[in-house]
Amino acid sequence: MRSAIISFLAGIVMSMPVLAGDTTEPAAEPAVGRSALDSEVQSLRREVVDLNRDLFMLEEDLLFPASTQVAVFVSMDSSTFFALDSVQLKVDDKEVANYLYTAREQDALKRGGVHRLWLGNLKAGEHEVVAFFTGQGTHERDYKRGTTLKVEKSVGAKYVELKISGKVSKLQPEFVVRVWE
Amino acid sequence: MRLLLAATVAAISLAATAAEGPTAPDFALTSTSGTNYRLSEYRGEVVALVFWASWCGDCRRELERFERLRRTYGSVGFNVLGVNLDPEPERAAAIAGAAGIGYPVLLDSGKDVSKNYRADDLPLIVLIDRRGAIRARHQALDEREERGLLVSLRDLIDE
Repeated sequence: MRSAIISFLAGIVMSMPVLAGDTTEPAAEPAVGRSALDSEVQSLRREVVDLNRDLFMLEEDLLFPASTQVAVFVSMDSSTFFALDSVQLKVDDKEVANYLYTAREQDALKRGGVHRLWLGNLKAGEHEVVAFFTGQGTHERDYKRGTTLKVEKSVGAKYVELKISGKVSKLQPEFVVRVWE
Repeated sequence: MRLLLAATVAAISLAATAAEGPTAPDFALTSTSGTNYRLSEYRGEVVALVFWASWCGDCRRELERFERLRRTYGSVGFNVLGVNLDPEPERAAAIAGAAGIGYPVLLDSGKDVSKNYRADDLPLIVLIDRRGAIRARHQALDEREERGLLVSLRDLIDE
């Protein structure tokens, strides 16, 4: 629904330059008028972008209200000696995400990017989050490591971070799970 | 008046988008070399997905055809991704190696991607435009169909 609205609005905005270009009296139209129309189109575009953002937030608020929302993120230290291949995520023993990371995504994580692996709803109470990381460490050594966290879901939204960091002394990756307060 | 005109143009553009074809379902798969590839990372370029399997007689010819096309049009934004349906990755790697394939051969042994693309008959070629929409589907090509494919491929590259 949101994408249909956005497509429609984007269509309107995209059509504006066409309309501007299709004017039947280009020679007679003063430059000032054109520049005013251009700025109007730009402001319309900005409005569509803002509207898209607002609709996106509204959609997320509706689908994942704070009372039940749980989000799991993946991050990585730049110094990590680990090529992340995939992360499998289980919540209460049920697989909710299984994500393959491409070279571009690994690079983005190493540059400080954070990937939202899963966004879902959980009822209040204790839940078990288990993450399995696969990839290659130093000397192309294959790794598959699991990490577990008990999450106490309360009234507010819960954010869990799966962080891969490197121990320089041991040249080994470390997998840490923490809850953002 | 302007709004009415804009809305009309928007409606036409929506209709045109619908006519261009459905958005290609995104996926991420591991290749025979162990590298992961995600389709959406090719947005802005033309992509041909070639679904194939070792037991399919016509597939090898298509693999080789698309290697030639990749060499010809690769520099202008044309990419080929082979999607192999064999349960054993070793066979896929061996056949792709013997055919001199330079593009990634992705392993869909779980058949999730091929189900999404309705790859019931092999080979299946899916052409995806720069916006990520499916523009054409082909089975094994004869000479006449190859000419048609070339025309549509050049059109997609020129868009």
